Amino acid sequence: MSGPLHTPLCEKLGIEYPIVAFTHCKDVVVAVINSGGFAVLGEALHSPDQIAADIKWIRDRISGKAFGIDLVLPASVPEDRTVQQLLAQIPQSHRDFEQMIKHKYSVPDPKEAPNLHIWGGLDQKRALAQVEVVFDERVPVFASGLGSPEFLLKRAHQLGMQVWGLVGKPRQARKQIAAGTDVIIAQGYDAAGHTGNIGTFSIVPQVVDAARGTGVPVLAAGGVTTGRHLAAALALGADGVWTGSVWLTSRESDVNLPLKERLLEAETDDTVYSDCISGYTMRTIRCPWHDEWLGPAAPEVLKPPLQMLLSANYIQGSLDYQRKDLMTEAAGQGIHYVTEMKPARQILSDLVEGALDVFDRFAAA
Amino acid sequence: MSSTASPRPEGPAPAAPYRVGFDASMRGRRAECDGGQAIEGTRLAGRQNFAGTLTGDFRDFGDYPWRWYLMTDLTRKPSGSTHAAVWCDSGSLVLEGDE
Repeated sequence: MSGPLHTPLCEKLGIEYPIVAFTHCKDVVVAVINSGGFAVLGEALHSPDQIAADIKWIRDRISGKAFGIDLVLPASVPEDRTVQQLLAQIPQSHRDFEQMIKHKYSVPDPKEAPNLHIWGGLDQKRALAQVEVVFDERVPVFASGLGSPEFLLKRAHQLGMQVWGLVGKPRQARKQIAAGTDVIIAQGYDAAGHTGNIGTFSIVPQVVDAARGTGVPVLAAGGVTTGRHLAAALALGADGVWTGSVWLTSRESDVNLPLKERLLEAETDDTVYSDCISGYTMRTIRCPWHDEWLGPAAPEVLKPPLQMLLSANYIQGSLDYQRKDLMTEAAGQGIHYVTEMKPARQILSDLVEGALDVFDRFAAA
Repeated sequence: MSSTASPRPEGPAPAAPYRVGFDASMRGRRAECDGGQAIEGTRLAGRQNFAGTLTGDFRDFGDYPWRWYLMTDLTRKPSGSTHAAVWCDSGSLVLEGDE
């Protein structure tokens, strides 16, 4: 196969289209891979046993094709951190503010107390247990959503696995390329979740320049939701795109229906880059929690994990009772173009067709 | 849990979750850390940037090893952070003068 969309990434992965879906939903992974793209399943929250089960489930449905698993390895951990000590540090003024929001917006209590200790990134030991499963299962692609994967490159390569690293700064890209990372994901400020502060149009060509001559493919991430974005990413020198928000509202996605509706209605400026949910800056869909914490009466946002402990009941309550007016989710600025609930196969096809239209237009000019 | 066994690095598995050590060449080095971690209770992650001075103390996790250095005298840390020190993944460190 040839054409403007057939990049070295396609050769490296054995795929038709240079489109990578990042998702937390196994069904989306399978649908995208079986439609000619590539998909990476985010497993940061899961136990080693859950990760192993998910890998088997996917393998049973993709006929030997490649796929990826993404983990969030910690990159920094405060000294002498104990959650219990930190919990005792939540000021009464902040608890009062949280209660004010609860009453003002009639936020329901969660059906069960949010479990704040079930994820894999709190300490190195738990993260390593997740990594071991990915090694044991020889998952074709291990993607690191945050921390440096340098320490595990040698073993991954011995097992025939690729290691991908997501970066928000050119210097992170240079380090990871030098260490032997197989694919670099250059994530711009437009992206959902934990973005850096450099825009997609600025960081992608810088990372492409850093990778020039190394043979390391670069994926553009952050705001990619249309074929025009895909064409632009390729024009910037990227070998493909890393996409996330566009899959949240797919038919296969396990995001609950009211939240899908909220996402379909959202505009670009409904996404907010703020630390008020967790104490970490991240891009999420604006909700009443943001409105209040970004207002003049709000106290100073607390450090992690205290702020997350404050927001946890609000978030869980909104999900448990499907309160669309309260819900939030990580979403990038490209959400403006996510306006229909479509099958993943159709989303992939639309991305491809949209990009080809751009190249056809240029060729005809 | 797994269907296939993967080759392990040579040497015995550590009894402790990590091994402690000291690298004199890193002591007193100024550095920045492109840090962060997963956010408790969510499936998301957050980045946090620190700058400070390395003490030379390190911890090695796992058999690879995965090395972490202790950074103190923090001159940059996230707003709201009251910690005086932070452990940094060695791969996420940028040493002053090395860029």
